[in-house]
Amino acid sequence: MTAKAVVARATEMSKATTPRSSLFLKYFSTLFAAAVIPLLIAGGSEAWFGYRDQRARLNDLLDAEARLAAEKIADFIEGIRDQLGWTVQLPWSDNPGDRRRLDALRLLHQAPAVESLSLVDGKGKERLFVSRIGLNRIEGGDDHSTKPAVIGARSDRIWFGPVTFQDGSEPFMTIAIAGTRAAAGVAVAEVNLKFIWEVVSGIRVGRTGEAFVLDRPGRLVAHPDIGLVLQADEAAQRPLQALRAAILTRSGQAAAGQDIAGNMVMAAMAPIPGLDWSVIVTQPLAEAFGPIYTALWRTGVLLIAGAVLAAILAYWMTQRMVGPIRVLEDGVARIGAGQFEHRINLATSDEFERLATRFNEMATELSVSQERSERINRLKRFLAPQVAELIERSGDDQVLDGRRVEVVAVFCDLRGFTAFSVRAEPETVIRVLREYYDALETVVSDHGATLINFFGDGAMILFNAPVSCVDPAFRAVGMARAMQKSMQGHLANWRALDDRLGFGVGLAMGPATVGRIGSQGRLHYTAIGNVVNLASRLCSSAEDSEILIDRVAASAIGSEIALVELDPRTLKGFDQPVPVFAVATDLAARSKI
Amino acid sequence: MLAEETILLWVPRAFAEATDGLKRRDFIALTGAAAASIIPAHAQAMPVIGYLGSESPERYASRLSAFRDGLAQSGYAEGRNVSIEFRWAQGQYSRLPSLAKDLAGSQVTLMVAPGGAEVALAAKSATATIPIVFEMGGDPIALGVVDSLSRPGGNLTGVSSLSVEVSRKRLEFMREVRRETKVFAVAINPRSPTSDSQLKNLHVAADSLGLNLVVLKASTEQEFEGMFAAVHEMQAGGLVFSSDPYFAYRSQQLAALASRRGVPTITQSRDFPLAGGLMSYGGDFHQSHYHTGVYAGRILKGEKPSNLPVQRVTKVELFINLNAASALNLVFPSSLLSSADQVIE
Repeated sequence: MTAKAVVARATEMSKATTPRSSLFLKYFSTLFAAAVIPLLIAGGSEAWFGYRDQRARLNDLLDAEARLAAEKIADFIEGIRDQLGWTVQLPWSDNPGDRRRLDALRLLHQAPAVESLSLVDGKGKERLFVSRIGLNRIEGGDDHSTKPAVIGARSDRIWFGPVTFQDGSEPFMTIAIAGTRAAAGVAVAEVNLKFIWEVVSGIRVGRTGEAFVLDRPGRLVAHPDIGLVLQADEAAQRPLQALRAAILTRSGQAAAGQDIAGNMVMAAMAPIPGLDWSVIVTQPLAEAFGPIYTALWRTGVLLIAGAVLAAILAYWMTQRMVGPIRVLEDGVARIGAGQFEHRINLATSDEFERLATRFNEMATELSVSQERSERINRLKRFLAPQVAELIERSGDDQVLDGRRVEVVAVFCDLRGFTAFSVRAEPETVIRVLREYYDALETVVSDHGATLINFFGDGAMILFNAPVSCVDPAFRAVGMARAMQKSMQGHLANWRALDDRLGFGVGLAMGPATVGRIGSQGRLHYTAIGNVVNLASRLCSSAEDSEILIDRVAASAIGSEIALVELDPRTLKGFDQPVPVFAVATDLAARSKI
Repeated sequence: MLAEETILLWVPRAFAEATDGLKRRDFIALTGAAAASIIPAHAQAMPVIGYLGSESPERYASRLSAFRDGLAQSGYAEGRNVSIEFRWAQGQYSRLPSLAKDLAGSQVTLMVAPGGAEVALAAKSATATIPIVFEMGGDPIALGVVDSLSRPGGNLTGVSSLSVEVSRKRLEFMREVRRETKVFAVAINPRSPTSDSQLKNLHVAADSLGLNLVVLKASTEQEFEGMFAAVHEMQAGGLVFSSDPYFAYRSQQLAALASRRGVPTITQSRDFPLAGGLMSYGGDFHQSHYHTGVYAGRILKGEKPSNLPVQRVTKVELFINLNAASALNLVFPSSLLSSADQVIE
């Protein structure tokens, strides 16, 4: 697998298996909740408590303003009443002189709201009338005793008439006051209520709030906009009456309602004692609850800022997490795909870096282990399993390096196989060869020899290389005998196919150069040297069932195995006849007979 | 408006959309304000007040200043956010209707008709659409200016003072000063729409006070001289001027004549005792002209005249001049001294 393909596969895997948004969502929701929920709670409670406090404060404020306004208007009336009081202190005599007239004129001068004043004596006769507009009258003598003002003042000391609108516009009211003694008579004053405007327009509730006055039937008596009073339009004043009714239903509390222009206001009311008038103070709702709106705005802005901050933090944090995770994931995918040389580069100096280091170590381990298993697989092809295992365990294949060593080379092949392979069916040839190889491999493996290779019906086996062993010649002969024994068993069957088939073995001992040879793609372990040629020639020279041995091997074996010295034979590639020994076997003996 | 469009153009689209909802009005107000500050002042249509005066600017000076105070109270200043176009009749009241028509024809935003019923009626006859604010002394209903004080209806409203109603009080005060005399002269401007009603009131008052009246008529300045001469010759207790703007605007002249002829005289305007006359009793013209200015401002702001009730200036002021009294060898009774709003010494 090429590096490119590995990367492609790794990215494919990461695409298929990592739902990146979920981590982001988890982080975002957690951070968002952490930032926004406390803000929401704080903002909500601030708004709620703020509303309650403001409502209570508003009640107090408006209530106080209403009382204050009522007091101011009461003071205004009180001022007129005081002035009137002076005129009814002394009883009337028949000839009062000029003093009463001067007092009355002075009163007009002092109390600009009083438009005219009539003084009535104890009998109800008008004794004096002074006016700003009309002519003054002295001793007019008209009988006023049946007028409601005089009757009212006589019974209650003070009497306030209904509010009347002169020419349907200017508000006036009659105030009558009686002296402590009946003989002092009654003072009846026409009061222009427009003068209350000065009082009312001077009252400011909050920044834009205002005060106005309704009489008992709900007509507007005073308002900062004097025009509204002068219009005397009862239909237009209905909202104010509704407002008063609304306040009356919630005694002691400020009520919300509409003013004459239809704006929403908070309003409170205070009565003016004695007059049955109501002073109502209003404050626009927007202003009254302004602080709460401000708080809500603040909370809203904080919420948005918190949410944005949480989002940014979440994004940043997630990027910090996801970045290394993706690098790790990519690296792991590459390593998993077999690219063991890949290294994960992370310098986050935290757990991620540690994890990356672990992965890199793992990749190294994997690479080492894979190399070893590849090597062993290679070794297993020409080493006996025990030898291969040995090398695998030691983890060292230096034994396969080239060196010169004393080896025993064993060659064997089938006699008459070439002729058989020409005549027989290919399937039969292949079956025979497979049985032959299997049998040989079993024997070679049993004897701890190294099977160098098969070539057609022949095979080359080495002793003492690459793994050294004790007494290689002896072992080689043992193996050759076992081969012969095994092959003769098989040959008994194969001769049914072709009776000319046979099996011969040749072995020789001597120094040889051993090691891995070959190109990068095809690597073999083999031995090169005279001994190999000799063993091969001996094998070629051997008869069926025969095991031929050279002199070196024979002398190494000594007398442990019975050997028969044959006549020296002229072998191809050898100038001198070569001394040859044969292993004495029952079979060999029998064939010789 | 070009400037506003230009501003809207470079507002980023997203922002414009974001501000689409709740804040749209604020936003428009904002750009509007910005646009207003960019456009030169003269490019905006400044409202024009057409001011119809029965006399000359000099005679109206104190009234005009009160009027401007009232305008300022409503947030308007001449030259800054309102311009005033004046038409002066120079004492020739017959010219008022044509001057009023001239103002109506020059497309003024609002007409102000101060200084008496003649001016108000001239303005009323000139237009039925341009709002009119009047200032006068008499009863606006009786004079046919409006139908109702609380709901004037139509295109005009204004301020009335109590000057006309209190003509009889002037006779009463004059008698207080000259208690030993039974004959008093009364000056009437026959051209005044209120002359008949005032004369009737004065006769009723004279009857109830037990006085005899000599009625003198004057409608031009040239007749003043003869009038004072007549009073002097007939040895009347004093001369009582009926309420009339023509007289009121000539207070200095009247004061000079009165002192030259040694005639105890009372008029409606405080200008008279301030100029050396004996005394005055009448509505406070400063207040009435001030409220005229306030109303003019409110109408400029968009209020309808029909929704503004006719205001009555209730304050009636008594001014007396002790110097004039001593020059005439008169002594003010304490009843007058204590009632006076101002005593000039």
